[in-house]
Amino acid sequence: MNVSLKRIQAIFIKDYKEFSRNYAVSIMIVFPIVFALLYRTEAGDQAAIYAFIMNFSLAMLTSFVQACLIAEEKERNTLRSLMMTPASMLDVLIGKSALVFLISAAVLAFTTYLFGYETSNVLLLTAALGISILLYTAIGTICGLYSKTLLEASLSVFPVLIIFTAGPFALSFEEQYPFLEVLRYLPSSQLSELLMAMEVGAASGDLAKPLVIIAVWTIVVTIISFVLYKKRLMDQ
Amino acid sequence: MNIREMSVNGQKIIPSLELDMEKGKVLGIQTNVQRKKILLAQFAERGDAYLSFAEQGEYTRLTVEELLRFMKSLSGHHTPVRSMLQLFQLGEYQKVKIADLPASKKIYLSLLRVYYAQQPIIVLEEPYFQLEEPDQLAFKRLLEELSEEKQILILTANLEDALISCDEIYRLDEAGLHLLDITDAEDEAENAHETGEAEFKIQKIPTKKNDKTILFNPPEIDYIESINSSAVVHVAGETYTCALTLAELEDKLQHYGFFRCHRSYIVNLQKVRELITWTKNSYSLRLTTGKDSVVPLSRTKLAELKELLNI
Repeated sequence: MNVSLKRIQAIFIKDYKEFSRNYAVSIMIVFPIVFALLYRTEAGDQAAIYAFIMNFSLAMLTSFVQACLIAEEKERNTLRSLMMTPASMLDVLIGKSALVFLISAAVLAFTTYLFGYETSNVLLLTAALGISILLYTAIGTICGLYSKTLLEASLSVFPVLIIFTAGPFALSFEEQYPFLEVLRYLPSSQLSELLMAMEVGAASGDLAKPLVIIAVWTIVVTIISFVLYKKRLMDQ
Repeated sequence: MNIREMSVNGQKIIPSLELDMEKGKVLGIQTNVQRKKILLAQFAERGDAYLSFAEQGEYTRLTVEELLRFMKSLSGHHTPVRSMLQLFQLGEYQKVKIADLPASKKIYLSLLRVYYAQQPIIVLEEPYFQLEEPDQLAFKRLLEELSEEKQILILTANLEDALISCDEIYRLDEAGLHLLDITDAEDEAENAHETGEAEFKIQKIPTKKNDKTILFNPPEIDYIESINSSAVVHVAGETYTCALTLAELEDKLQHYGFFRCHRSYIVNLQKVRELITWTKNSYSLRLTTGKDSVVPLSRTKLAELKELLNI
């Protein structure tokens, strides 16, 4: 599979225009910003609320947009035509993912600024969010591959939203239901934990663990999404 | 180009075929939807064919110009977008979003993707079906130009569409490919003049479809019926009008095993499978071609037919 920067760029520009003109999808960039303004607080639990907004935004924006971009291409049978051009499957996937990554990164950065979140370790925060964006892009790819239309894609993101965003909250029932312990290993829970740990100024060992877990999630899900992407497109 | 044999439920749908494709010639295959899908699936397995499907969608939120620019950078085509717009006669729609184009133009634009194809073979499914006439003509011209460097094949269920731009048209059925003998109306007039002098006996049945004259070998014909006093020739489910009267046709065809089974029907006896008796005085002939091709048989002709068939 050969990858060409020129074709990736063409797909990136095409998808950017489609994204910016499809208000049903591009409205999603408003939600994180609105949430940031609503929940702006000076109180002590700033880190927890910030973590919630980030987790919500990642699912609602990153996964949703990626799923919609892929599903819409399938819905209109343009993917099949695209496969017959010199553009490889990897070109298409990288072009789309790059767009979603940039949009997410920009929106999350702006949200952070609006929310007024201040951290001692900007580098660590950027790394954690960057890896998370990759992870949620891969999840969005999988959602998009399993949906045939735009409508299906937007519905398929809801399980992701519920499991990943609500996961950290369900942890408060852990004493009643010990099996909920597994939710602690969700990337969203790990992101919250990381933010909390940064707040209290934990040792670097405690900071590294959540980051490693998120990275493992990212690698595994990205590989799965690649394999599925290849397989599902062959079947078309 | 080879096509594999294909059977569905033990019934042979397509025999194994060999198709000669060459540049400078647009080939057409007229066949039913099922065979069309099978052919498309087989072409899709080949790496060297670009397939243009009938249900091809479009990036409706881009403008025409943006789409062409996108196709250009994807395919590595060199011609600037501006001259492509001119070539495609889409100059006035340059800044229009594809979603706002008229329906026919939208399909025309999707078809133009073949222009950017890198593959040596181009297969089009039903290109003309939903196009308005000016767009049909424009696309026909582009295809002719494209055929100079590519091998082009059109698959259609409708012969009229194939007639628009194909140089050679084949009919595909379970027996294989049959080349349709087609001449333009003007050429045919000349031919008729020449043959008149040479006293050459024409053994083909001339029929018309649109502006084209199509000649059928008598054994190809299933039956002929008279509708509003003009003869309609049935060949493999398609109908063609014929300028001759039924009496003339009967005269011409009786040596080929045709039989005037009814005041307004002539049937090819080679293709009769079954004699159906509805009541004592009402009969029909069922043909081998399909379940629903049934031709009436009048009572007076029954005796004659029985004599002919020795039953």
